[in-house]
Amino acid sequence: MSLWLDAASAAATLNVVLLVALVGIWARNYLEFRSKHPLGLLVFGLLLLAENCLSVYYYVIDPEVANLLRSAAPVAGRAMTFVQILELAAILFLAWVTWD
Amino acid sequence: MEGTLWYVLTGTRGGRNRIRILQAIDERPRNAHQLADDLDLDYKTVRHHLDVLLDNDIVDKSGDDYGAVYLPTDRVRANWGTVQEIFERVE
Repeated sequence: MSLWLDAASAAATLNVVLLVALVGIWARNYLEFRSKHPLGLLVFGLLLLAENCLSVYYYVIDPEVANLLRSAAPVAGRAMTFVQILELAAILFLAWVTWD
Repeated sequence: MEGTLWYVLTGTRGGRNRIRILQAIDERPRNAHQLADDLDLDYKTVRHHLDVLLDNDIVDKSGDDYGAVYLPTDRVRANWGTVQEIFERVE
């Protein structure tokens, strides 16, 4: 396993953990307030969670696809890892303001 | 301001308690200790929520640091319709 793949795996896993916590907060708030603000956050969180679950699947659970992409196009593989890490930074900031 | 109110009061983990604080000081301005007692919350929790509300220009404080009394800002008063809509969504 390459360093890039390790980094992408770690970022995708952390994203899932953080998003589960955030979706929990937003779902609870939506159930309480029934307003569009927490609903918007909830739907956004669920879709991003689905995307990251998919990433965890092909980086961590069954890295065959990720390895294939990397061997076929190493630049694309690095770019995908970079996107995953940017996403982690974005979610960390969102968690920081939502946890308040 | 409307967006800020929706976010700060319904989009975050502590929104529920911030609503209770805003309801309490709307009824009658209070200091942090009174809020902690009246709402049965930890003093540090109340301080934290008050800081968030101050940061977002939702509450003002008058008086010195320790006994400072908190009250809704004029800006929030001008958007009180939104605040009431949020209050109504909490039983």
